[in-house]
Amino acid sequence: MAAAFRAMLQRDLLLAWRRRGDALLPVLYAVMVATLFPFALGPEHTLLARISGGVVLVTVLLSMLLSLDAVFRGDLEDGALEYLVLAPQPLALLVAARMLAYWLVTALPLIAVAPLLAYMLGLEGPAQPVLLLALLLATPLLALIGSVLTALTVGTRRSGMLLALMLLPLAVPIVIFAAGAVGAAQQGLPWVAPVAWLAAALALAVVLAPLACATALRIALDS
Amino acid sequence: MMNAFPDPQPAPIDVRGLVYERRDERVFGPLDFTVEAGTIALVEGDNGSGKTTLLRVIAGLLRASAGEARVFGSAPGSDEARAGTASLGHLLGLKGDLTPRENLHLGMGLYGCKSGEDPDAMLCRVGLEGFGDEPVRTLSAGQKKRTALARLALLPARLWLLDEPYANLDRHGIALVNHLLALHAAAGGSALVTSHGAVSFHQGVACTIRLTP
Repeated sequence: MAAAFRAMLQRDLLLAWRRRGDALLPVLYAVMVATLFPFALGPEHTLLARISGGVVLVTVLLSMLLSLDAVFRGDLEDGALEYLVLAPQPLALLVAARMLAYWLVTALPLIAVAPLLAYMLGLEGPAQPVLLLALLLATPLLALIGSVLTALTVGTRRSGMLLALMLLPLAVPIVIFAAGAVGAAQQGLPWVAPVAWLAAALALAVVLAPLACATALRIALDS
Repeated sequence: MMNAFPDPQPAPIDVRGLVYERRDERVFGPLDFTVEAGTIALVEGDNGSGKTTLLRVIAGLLRASAGEARVFGSAPGSDEARAGTASLGHLLGLKGDLTPRENLHLGMGLYGCKSGEDPDAMLCRVGLEGFGDEPVRTLSAGQKKRTALARLALLPARLWLLDEPYANLDRHGIALVNHLLALHAAAGGSALVTSHGAVSFHQGVACTIRLTP
């Protein structure tokens, strides 16, 4: 079982490395979206600093949404998805490896560039590490919830738009807790509680999302 | 209570009254057949007669409408059934950005490997010597098929579900498929093979299942 997890993770990281230019696109997108805010709102420092945490969070969320739609599409188109479903391994385990690879390839570069975006918008002091912590918890949570929805919409036409419409309402609590933690840290208030909520939700999602995703994929292929 | 006379080896495939309907329209059935260990069964039928659908039902991807299919005595798609089965469909499931060698290693990682087999030797046997490190997307359709056949022959599965294995292959490729099937049957394996009838296939076919639309 560990060998299958490793083989799957290795496959996805190798595929991402062969197409490493693609991994840059969400990062460039995030940088551009974040750059638009000072142009739209004016260069007033206090305003930008106050909204910076939320802007960075929403930007990262939207960037992830761009590539989430394609998580299972390639495997569906070349038939690899059927071979994964038929493999004598727990499908949830293979899905978990897929999601880990997706998070490493897509979310990690975004998290790496997030401090730069936050600094550009004037986020300073102790709120910076809190933002990083919130992103480290919020991005895998989004990827896991998104993977279930992607599995449900795999094979449908215009699945990208459908995915966005289904995922964004579910992302609301994640954004509230993550932005709440950053906002509290900016005002010098305790910020541990919202971060703990995110961590609890992530612990739940790590266990449940691969199972739900595996079931959704089986349903998607049964037609 | 324990069964005093347990069936020592359930048949690889046992089908009783199997019917599949799509939107209340019958695709095939009712079918009754058994594929014993060490034998090859051929599914014949015209385009659209439900050959692929039958294979997908037995693989466990589709749910039968009526009747029962047993794979090694278990329900299709169950852990026991999947552990003994390998399939080859119209879509080969090869990753185009990976090389044949990397694709074989991936298949072995997911399905395990027959003891005493080596992926590089297998690539030579299917006639892909020198192509082991080219990305699969640059290979021809026939070479892709050969890569998929090499992966199939490496897996430890005792039952093969092959959907049109002769498509895209030249004369040597067709002989290769027959050779692999003969070796597989000689080692006690069994196979369910679909064909639209264009390729003559005689050796060692134990039963033929004829599907009519």
